[in-house]
Amino acid sequence: MSLLKTDHLSKTFGAIHAVDSVSFQIEAGEIYGLLGPNGAGKTTTISMICGLLKPDAGEVIVAGGPFWSDPQKAKSIMGIVPQELAIYEELTGRENLEFWGRVAGLKSGEAKTRTTELLEALSLTDRAKDAVKNYSGGMKRRINLGCALLHRPKLLLLDEPTVGIDPQARLNILEFIRGLRASGTAILYTTHYLEEAEKLCDRIGIIDHGRLLAEGTLSQLQERLGGDRVFVLEADFGNASVEAWDGFLQRFRVIQKAEGQLVVAAIGVRDPAECLRELLNLPIRVENVTLKRPSLNDVFLQLTGRSLRE
Amino acid sequence: MRHVLHIGHTDLRLFLKRKSAYLWLFVVPFAFIYLMGTAMQGPGDPDNHRASVMIDNQDTNFLSRVFLDELGAQGMWVLSPTNKEAAARSIRIPSNFTSKVLRGKQSKVSFLKHEDSAEADAAIIEVRLVRSLIAMNGHILEAATHTDSLETINEDTLRKIMASPDPVALKAKFAGRKPVPSGFNFSLPGNLVMYLMMNLLIFGGATIASERRNGVIKRLMVHPVTKFELVQGKIYGLMLLGVVQILFFLAVGKILFHVNLGANLPAVTLTLIIFAWVAGSLGVLVGCVTASEDRVAGICVLASLIMAALGGCWWPLEIGPPVLKTIALWVPTGWVLQALHQLISFGSGFSAVILPIAVLLAFGAAANLLAARFFRH
Repeated sequence: MSLLKTDHLSKTFGAIHAVDSVSFQIEAGEIYGLLGPNGAGKTTTISMICGLLKPDAGEVIVAGGPFWSDPQKAKSIMGIVPQELAIYEELTGRENLEFWGRVAGLKSGEAKTRTTELLEALSLTDRAKDAVKNYSGGMKRRINLGCALLHRPKLLLLDEPTVGIDPQARLNILEFIRGLRASGTAILYTTHYLEEAEKLCDRIGIIDHGRLLAEGTLSQLQERLGGDRVFVLEADFGNASVEAWDGFLQRFRVIQKAEGQLVVAAIGVRDPAECLRELLNLPIRVENVTLKRPSLNDVFLQLTGRSLRE
Repeated sequence: MRHVLHIGHTDLRLFLKRKSAYLWLFVVPFAFIYLMGTAMQGPGDPDNHRASVMIDNQDTNFLSRVFLDELGAQGMWVLSPTNKEAAARSIRIPSNFTSKVLRGKQSKVSFLKHEDSAEADAAIIEVRLVRSLIAMNGHILEAATHTDSLETINEDTLRKIMASPDPVALKAKFAGRKPVPSGFNFSLPGNLVMYLMMNLLIFGGATIASERRNGVIKRLMVHPVTKFELVQGKIYGLMLLGVVQILFFLAVGKILFHVNLGANLPAVTLTLIIFAWVAGSLGVLVGCVTASEDRVAGICVLASLIMAALGGCWWPLEIGPPVLKTIALWVPTGWVLQALHQLISFGSGFSAVILPIAVLLAFGAAANLLAARFFRH
């Protein structure tokens, strides 16, 4: 049984379709990455899943039951880590964790015990008595994450939990999240960082303009490009058009065409050396051809016509 | 209910972690109570006001001691020469006071003026000194009727006569109007009400607005906490903050300013706690309908000053035109002060404040419902 299922979830704000018929599901012990640029609809999707927004259409099913049939029960098995540092900066790390534990329904004694465990797990025991306002950015992010874990949620929603922190702090948080997956927690992880999605997530959904454009494992998404490699051609294209090259579009899929650069993937199973020869023989002045494994950015490029990094 | 208490207690802890809170909770109101109380000190309520008089008692015999007790009974603070500065006037009792009086001879008690002392207090002392002397003469005369000679009168006889009820007594009150609250009897409730309203509006409004900005409200709402519990928890936290301020200033009023809270202390406390609930509910409402913390401070200071002025925190409504009393009925500050003056200055019991308390509860319920209606993340 999946712990979370969204079924054609939609939300409109005026004329803007913030989320348009988004469906996916997450199993226990799985990290599902929702990858998309800012404004793609990731936070709106999470807001509907945790009950902050009511969907205009579609349904959220948590642990087999519709969310809105018993919101309090659904919320009690969820943990949510918001994008903002939604913690009390004047309180200490320990006080923050205990507070959110009590709000999540733990009794005082349980909250205290669990706080001690989490401070240890998050490597914050030494700073437990300091006010959070005196923490570094990475430590604040860890406390922000910890505040959602007091009641051992079966389903964890992480909305860009590593925004604005240094690489080392990010690695620490990602490692901690892997540990949660290993303990059987189902995790929805929204991000616009490609590397995080590639390294962390078991399955990835690519979202843009409110629509889920594709989903699958990293290799399944790479397969959409027709194989496990793409060619980056740097050349002076002048007025040349790929449509004019004889049979080119039958043998290559154009992922991106920009000024001075063409990114293509071979269609079907083909010998890379043969593909390279063909590209070098195109009727243009080729300056460089690079062969690389397709990244999520290439998938995003192919799906949306623009880079996620733009 | 558990969530309400937990959220409220945490909010109180957060409020008290801010250093600026202590300034506005205690220091500034204390200064205003002291300044206004001192500036407005006058004859005030004759049942309550006690003018200070310094006694230079050179007589060591019993009649001077009895006389001092009579001065106290007539409503004067009797001070020793070490507290000379605090007195409005001095009374000097000569060393032969007892012996001369008991020999049936006149003894001169000196009444001395202090420079820069309040004229109103001096007048009260003069009147009460005359009353004390008349009373003393009466007691001595009555004692003399039981003995053969004045010289056989002793302290016990005289004190027994003083302790027995007067055969004829005159109770004087203002005719046709209520006395006007003054001094600390006025400045304590007036300033306490104003600063309770101001602090709870600002703390409530700013906290809600800032927690909405940094996502804490949103985070609370994704937990198994209902919107009702969240609103009530926030109001409860503000109420607790109000209770801290109330208890502090009731103690200060009683101990430092000698405000006569008397037997009405439970009713005074209850009235103020209900008012703290009203102000807390209004604070949460302001936070719900105001976009940012920056605006909250401006709106709340303005609103609380207007309500303080209209409600009678700055001057007694009794001295203003009737229209002011009508306007005061539209603000909670007016009702709470009406109740507090009844209890503190006019000596009324709980039954006299049932209506103001009912109106305050209605104000609180309305603010509560509106806060719940407009609460948003």
